[in-house]
Amino acid sequence: MVSVLKEGKGRKSATDLVIELYSTLLIEIWEIVSALIGETILTLLFLTAIRKIGEKHLFLSSLKVSEEGIVLDQLEEACQKLSPLEIHRGFQNLVNHLFQLFSTMTEGVINKELFPKAFPKFKEADRIISKK
Amino acid sequence: MRLIFKNLNILRSALNAISAASDPKGIIESTGTYLPSLFSFASFGIFWKAGLLIHLCQEESCSPSFTKEVADNILKVFSIFGDESIDITRLNFIVEKKGASPDQKLGAKTALKSHLTLPLAVEGEVLGCVCLDSEQPNAFDVQDLQFFSVIGYQIAASLKQFQKISSIKDQAIYDKLTNVHNRRYFDEKIKGETQKSFSSLTPLSLVMVDIDLFKKVNDTYGHHAGDSVLSKIASLLKNSVRKDDTVARYGGDEFVLVLPGAKLEVTAIIAERIRRLIETTPFEIESSQIHITISMGISNIPTHQVKSGEDLVKMADQALYKAKNEGRNRVCIFME
Repeated sequence: MVSVLKEGKGRKSATDLVIELYSTLLIEIWEIVSALIGETILTLLFLTAIRKIGEKHLFLSSLKVSEEGIVLDQLEEACQKLSPLEIHRGFQNLVNHLFQLFSTMTEGVINKELFPKAFPKFKEADRIISKK
Repeated sequence: MRLIFKNLNILRSALNAISAASDPKGIIESTGTYLPSLFSFASFGIFWKAGLLIHLCQEESCSPSFTKEVADNILKVFSIFGDESIDITRLNFIVEKKGASPDQKLGAKTALKSHLTLPLAVEGEVLGCVCLDSEQPNAFDVQDLQFFSVIGYQIAASLKQFQKISSIKDQAIYDKLTNVHNRRYFDEKIKGETQKSFSSLTPLSLVMVDIDLFKKVNDTYGHHAGDSVLSKIASLLKNSVRKDDTVARYGGDEFVLVLPGAKLEVTAIIAERIRRLIETTPFEIESSQIHITISMGISNIPTHQVKSGEDLVKMADQALYKAKNEGRNRVCIFME
């Protein structure tokens, strides 16, 4: 099961939009990759990536991962004092690290499925932040 | 569509065979039997951490450099998940070669171009890795990955099952504190070795070992120190005998050595060497060093009139009693 950030009332802030964008991306990554290599291995990969990238981007430690999926409930609170750019950089590093792990394991087999989903989101996040 | 059905049937057969295998060798053999029907590859391999084993099944024409690349790669993927680094010098490395298919002749300089390397993960634990490797670029697709990951999960489940059973078996025959065999194992072993000795007319020696004044160690330094003395003596005994000999904890501070094929004279020399080793080895306790001595009693087939393993034990025990009575720190041979 994957829980998604709830929409708030009124116009969304850049922070909300960036979080929402990456929440959707992480969920997509989970759904695609779990169908290819199973939840057990994917959980280990997510935990490894979060541990590594979370050292620099502390808010990522609020992501909870188990074989049931990713839980993003505490993300909003963890990002409260961060700029949209910091959130974007943290998520971007996390996703890139996951890509690196997938590549180490299977060369391009997994990443070929993910790149078309991820790159438009990276660009969209850039656009949201530059518009701010 | 027909091809997918065919592959699913092969996959099902592969999973059944892997789950029926009772040990790592059987698991690798079962996997190796079915993989060529599902994938086109030059090398398939398993790294199993607990067994410190890399087992590769490869095309005959795979070069040593290709093999090395495959082995390095499987360890590299494992290192993503494993916290501890693997001591490569201790790895058992098995490479099985199979006849090359006409369209798959690899040159000496052929490099690893594509691979699927997955962790063998079960219950949140990574037991090792499994890999499929090819000299062709982009040799594998998403369907290959899906099938291979299902096979990987079955291998991991079977390995885990094997590890659990091995661990239960070990608990039944090993002494937890000293890591040498326990009394139960010894009782069976001496029975079997005695029968073997009678039927093959080969010598068999038994040495009973008792730590001198062990109670004093416990009373002076506490039971924790006593336990560490027992462990160290067990380890010294284990390192002083041959691979086919048995060291077991007989009970309390008593150990036994079963030496198949050892004549009485040889056994006496071994026992004396061990006695001196213990006598000269310092034991670190609470930042001070103490010295420990042992007494030993020996019995032997055919030197002594023995009808059973029990007789052999009784005789070695009597010889040990004599060693104690004569002032400890000595080796005595049973006298009829």
